[in-house]
Amino acid sequence: MVHGVGSAIGDPVSQRWVLDEIVDAYGATVVVERDAQGRASAARFDLTGLPRVDAMLTGQPVGGVPALVERLCGICPAAHHLAGVRALEALATTTPTPAGTAVRALLHHGATIETHAARLAVVDPQGAMTLRTFGKAAAAAAGSPGHFPATAVVGGVAGLVPSSACDELAASAGPALEAAVAIAGQELSTGAAGHPYRGADVALVGSDGHPDLLGERLRVVAADGTVVEPSAAPAGWDDLVVESVPGAPAPRPYLVALGPSDGGYRVGPVSQLRVGTLTTPVAAGLQAQWAAAGAGARVARAIITVHCVEAVAAAVSGGTLTEGDPQAAPGGFDQPGVGVGWADGPRGLLVHRYVTDGSGTLTQAMILTPTAQNERWLAELLLDAVDHPGAAGADGVVAGQPALEEAVREADPCLPVTSAPIGGMGLTVATVAASEPRRGSS
Amino acid sequence: MCVSIPARIVQITEGAMTMAEVEVAGQVETCCLAYLPDAGVGDHVLVQNGFAVELLDPQAAAESLAAFVALGLVPGGAALGDEG
Repeated sequence: MVHGVGSAIGDPVSQRWVLDEIVDAYGATVVVERDAQGRASAARFDLTGLPRVDAMLTGQPVGGVPALVERLCGICPAAHHLAGVRALEALATTTPTPAGTAVRALLHHGATIETHAARLAVVDPQGAMTLRTFGKAAAAAAGSPGHFPATAVVGGVAGLVPSSACDELAASAGPALEAAVAIAGQELSTGAAGHPYRGADVALVGSDGHPDLLGERLRVVAADGTVVEPSAAPAGWDDLVVESVPGAPAPRPYLVALGPSDGGYRVGPVSQLRVGTLTTPVAAGLQAQWAAAGAGARVARAIITVHCVEAVAAAVSGGTLTEGDPQAAPGGFDQPGVGVGWADGPRGLLVHRYVTDGSGTLTQAMILTPTAQNERWLAELLLDAVDHPGAAGADGVVAGQPALEEAVREADPCLPVTSAPIGGMGLTVATVAASEPRRGSS
Repeated sequence: MCVSIPARIVQITEGAMTMAEVEVAGQVETCCLAYLPDAGVGDHVLVQNGFAVELLDPQAAAESLAAFVALGLVPGGAALGDEG
């Protein structure tokens, strides 16, 4: 399916170039296509600053690939860690133990809280700090005290959670939940509406069909609420999603069932709330308010944070983290095959797909990030935003650009600009000639 | 995919947009500290697209750099400048 890279990263003759590509300042650019009458026909966010690394992983011992990827990314290491180990387990036909699954969920929920807390600081800096501390403590209890996780191993986890760590998390869960609920309430009270979207929502669910950020199944819901795919397994990925431009930084993936034109989809907190009812009571109540208000991603992040705090609180009082076998027999990579693993991270679905030759060597990799999957959605948001009065009247850096900035914040691509204060993204707008008429124009 | 590389701050220039000279894989580069205002000289950071985005402890920085070395993205002898 997905092969090659979209830029020269990994080219052995251009190491200096590669370093520059990563380190040099990357001007976040919105490209707007305009017709002869000046009407915007398309817009897109330039993702060339996010090169694909898939091809350069080829030839590596497959068992070490998750660690390499999480260290190259560095921004969402827990999600890469978990998706990668799951892909290895698919290759090794190994299933993690119940205790291992529970400890991984603790890591994932903690890391998600920590990531979302950075976004929520604009609402309540002190509350966000409480959440960040709680999230880090959860990840540490799960065996990952440092930046790069060490929790998951093939077949489970490296170790169980000490009872003392559970007690400490249980004691701090109350204040964390209070902070998360307060922030979500503030976000809901702003009345900020979400943006209409014509595509589908894709998120992970558990065996019961409810949203589960580390679910083993994938659910697809159309814009009108119709369930397109109730419960897909990772092994069915190749029949589910195809990249229109394989290997490109903006690959425009689409759902096979809906076709290239209508199969666009998004992932992330909004999708996590749209595919089903959350299993934790406080977050589920907020989710109902969110749906009734037609709110968007910013509120959705706050509600998912509430959900994660509740999930951690339930886990530390349930006994599954401290008892049982941490790891099943790990199996091996001595058979050729394809392994797909996924995790629903802070920005949405992350998919690792590994192909091996039977000697334990990776022969092909596909790392499909939330940012790459949401690029098409972001393009639609930007197209709506450029027609906003004063949004993109001229090329160059546009200061204090609320409509375009709001579009970028909604889709939340994995770039530093999304951390900029309101009005401070410094987006650059580049206008090019339209390649085709705007959809729906006469 | 977002790719961020570990670096060590060797100099900070305060201003409207605080900037830093960072040593990364044996080279000195410039990045923006706007998102890590508490970072100081000697700290290890992850740099993505011209911005320091995360503080790292020295061990995590070394682990991260090892991944770049393993994939041939930086020279095998690259270090984070801790010696100096």
